Amino acid sequence: MMKELSIYIHIPFCEQKCNYCAFASFCANEKQKEEYIDLLCKEIKTRKTKRPVKTIYIGGGTPSVLTETQIERIVVTLFENFDVYEDAEFTVEANPNSITENFLQKLKELRVNRLSVGVQSLKDKSLQKIGRLHDKNMAIEKIKLARKYFNNVSADLIVGLENENGKDLCRYAEKLLSLGVKHISCYLLEIYENTKLYQMIKNKEYCPLNEGQLIGAFNKLSNYLQDKGMERYEISNFAFEEYESKHNLNYWQRDEYLGFGLSAHSFLDGIRSCNASNFEDYKLGKTEIEKLTTKQQVEEIIMLGLRCKLGVNLSELKKLNYEIEKNDYFQDYIKQGIIKLKNDRLFLNPVFYHLSNTIISNLMP
Amino acid sequence: MKDLNLIRNFCIIAHIDHGKSTLADRLIEMTGTVSKRDMQNQILDSMELEREKGITIKLAPTRLIYEFEGKEYTLNLIDTPGHVDFTYEVSRSLAACEGAILLVDASQGVEAQTLANTYLALDNNLETIPVINKIDLPSARVEEVKKEIEEVIGFDAENCPCISAKEGLNIDQVLKAVIKDIPAPVGDESKPLKCLIFDSHYDNFKGAICLVRVFDGTVKAGDKVLMMQTGKVFEVTEVGIFVPNTKEVKELSAGDVGYIAASIKTIADVKVGDTITSAVLPIEKPLAGYKEVQPVVFCGIFPVDGAKYNELKDSLEKLKLNDASLQFTPEVSSALGYGFRCGFLGLLHLEIITERLEREFNLDIITTAPSVSYNVYKTNGDMLEISNPSNLPSAVEIDRIEEPIVKVNVFTPPEYVGTIMELCQDKRGIYTDMQYLDKKRVELKYTLPLGEIIYDFFDSLKSRTKGYASFDYEFAGFEPADLVRVDLMLNGEKCDALSLIVHKDKAYNRGRDLAERLKKIIPRQLFEVPIQACIGNKIIARETISAMRKDVLAKCYGGDISRKRKLLEKQKEGKKKMRKIGSVEIPSEAFMSILKLDDDK
Repeated sequence: MMKELSIYIHIPFCEQKCNYCAFASFCANEKQKEEYIDLLCKEIKTRKTKRPVKTIYIGGGTPSVLTETQIERIVVTLFENFDVYEDAEFTVEANPNSITENFLQKLKELRVNRLSVGVQSLKDKSLQKIGRLHDKNMAIEKIKLARKYFNNVSADLIVGLENENGKDLCRYAEKLLSLGVKHISCYLLEIYENTKLYQMIKNKEYCPLNEGQLIGAFNKLSNYLQDKGMERYEISNFAFEEYESKHNLNYWQRDEYLGFGLSAHSFLDGIRSCNASNFEDYKLGKTEIEKLTTKQQVEEIIMLGLRCKLGVNLSELKKLNYEIEKNDYFQDYIKQGIIKLKNDRLFLNPVFYHLSNTIISNLMP
Repeated sequence: MKDLNLIRNFCIIAHIDHGKSTLADRLIEMTGTVSKRDMQNQILDSMELEREKGITIKLAPTRLIYEFEGKEYTLNLIDTPGHVDFTYEVSRSLAACEGAILLVDASQGVEAQTLANTYLALDNNLETIPVINKIDLPSARVEEVKKEIEEVIGFDAENCPCISAKEGLNIDQVLKAVIKDIPAPVGDESKPLKCLIFDSHYDNFKGAICLVRVFDGTVKAGDKVLMMQTGKVFEVTEVGIFVPNTKEVKELSAGDVGYIAASIKTIADVKVGDTITSAVLPIEKPLAGYKEVQPVVFCGIFPVDGAKYNELKDSLEKLKLNDASLQFTPEVSSALGYGFRCGFLGLLHLEIITERLEREFNLDIITTAPSVSYNVYKTNGDMLEISNPSNLPSAVEIDRIEEPIVKVNVFTPPEYVGTIMELCQDKRGIYTDMQYLDKKRVELKYTLPLGEIIYDFFDSLKSRTKGYASFDYEFAGFEPADLVRVDLMLNGEKCDALSLIVHKDKAYNRGRDLAERLKKIIPRQLFEVPIQACIGNKIIARETISAMRKDVLAKCYGGDISRKRKLLEKQKEGKKKMRKIGSVEIPSEAFMSILKLDDDK
């Protein structure tokens, strides 16, 4: 049997860039969108393989800004060129303001079975300040609508927004769960220099939570979600049983994937590659390629494994000649209860998730 | 037959920054010794560090040819290091000369080292010519400085050359004065060989090279020579002169300055101040003034990366090839692992060596706080020389501790006398004398413990006097003192590399100060870290580093694993500058920085 693959497709368009966003996304007219989809379809055809596909993820940007015809073209091209499992997890990202009944209908027809909605917050003032185009009521209405078509709906929340404490976040979570959301991604607000939010903070027009408040709020939300029966299966992801994102798990378990579109990443045969992040270079088919050294492989296994509930398989490290037990920090961390060893797997104590960078980097070779 | 009347051997002495090396450059340039094309500022300061710091560390002699009144003179200029750490080296260079140019800055006037060096020159019976430099500066006060020289030093400065070495002004007057006022060497070629070693170099091909002044006799390749202090005999392979690069000659004879190579494997066999004589016909008594050089400041040097111990060892050995005064012995610290306890002539010497290790040998090193060597008398009658605080026996075993004492001369404008006295008192100094040299200059004399001098005395003096005061010191033996060891505990574990020996009255303040500094310099860790200073089991100060709050990459965007990995790799790379002590990570500069004066103090 041939090895399975995951596929990521990047839609770099947004109706409006969010104030905190530093990713490859921009506003585009219809002509530009058509042109991009042409290129995308061409890339999909060129990189055709016979390997079966187990998950598909169309992300962005905002895939829901595409018309039904446009998204159909992409998905059809994909199905024509790849062998996708009948029960493959197929996620599309959407923003509340661009979700329409027709769009959902179309996704359903195209075998999409999971919708990831960018809720971010359920406070109108907050949403407005970070440049989102929806308000609380719209988010709720659209999730209700999405739930008519999809059982598996995920929502994103941002922790760290101005004046949003742990209590607020728990309230949002409560609402989302009552709407039947099965998966919640909780991201810490990160401020990148080239964003509008960075300028706003500099000009004292915006005041995000400080580090202490941020971690406090996150932990409160995390505890709440776990009390409600969700599992924290990765540092920032929570899901009910059976509703973990298989696509994301694929990344974290270092299984292989192809990424199509602007700045999309691929991992195949031990090589990580990344498409160009500007239009001109992408047109020319430019990619950055990185062949992983043994050391880098070890680093990835530790970094990704410790971020997940699944932990790190030590025999996998041994195969790569890394004896993590001999790391300077290992014994201390075990003694201090920072990491735990069980059945040849290493786990990061969730109490220390918020300090994971230090711990992980220290355990790396 | 050589005419000794056509030779002058001289050196330039000055306080630091008074323009010694610049004058040397001008002399070389004027006499055409080095062509303009090859002229590089401060020719004799060949080390990169010397040029940068504007100080001379390694002596460099050069032969100048100058025509005067129809005769061609050979002028041997011996450059001298201008720092108190190297007083003995200076004294041996002076002993190789008949005269000295005393260079004084026209705006700064007479400073501590001006006087200290003058006394050295007088000790060696040198004819000394005052020269006033930097007369081109707007702040030059030539007449006043002349008066200062006359009043403070007692030299006639009325007709002394007034020059600007930088602008090349009146340099010929200096050369004329050298020829007219400095006596020609006296010596007898027919007598048995008598040479003074005033410096040494190591050459990869020729071995250790002696820089010498020949007083009597001749020496040439093939001669068997005896080093009178070490008793070792060598066969000369080459003799030569400096122009200023080495140039082989047939022989050196009485009156000459040059070098002797004799396949000497280690520089330890070439002792500065030693006398070289003929092994066949040795003279009876060596030249006077020889001293065994002893290090006075000690510190531990450890590689940041423990695996680089051997590299550090090789590098120290290479430095030692050219620097007999550098001492090092292996040391094991529970906190820092394997390294070396090193001895230096002074703080500047220490600084030079550590900087060279980092720059020339590309090593990341950790330097512990400098210490002096204490004489520790135990109750059982033994005496230990302790330069490493962690080797101090427990209090019950100690009868008494004696610390090294120095006599300090401070030169300062009168308005700073008060603050300097305060500083000296604070440093446990004992006042001995004060003299008004003139309206603008006061000389203060104190005796101070050397241990206090190496702890920020220089920095404090400079900052209290806006850089106007200068100082100089000489050894004055050992005296008993009430000393204790202050230990630092991080997260309950003693860190031996941070221990200090201090006076009991100051232990509390120093302990508190140290704990505060460490709190500032040690980054937050995964856990709260208590810092405690203690004497024995008694805790005298405590600070707490609170735990790190947030260090996480929450958003795992798409499949971009590389970006994340690179961020963590970078974080890991940053850790290489850290040293793990127990479970606490300390930046390597922490060990040294505990001695630096705080800006806000």
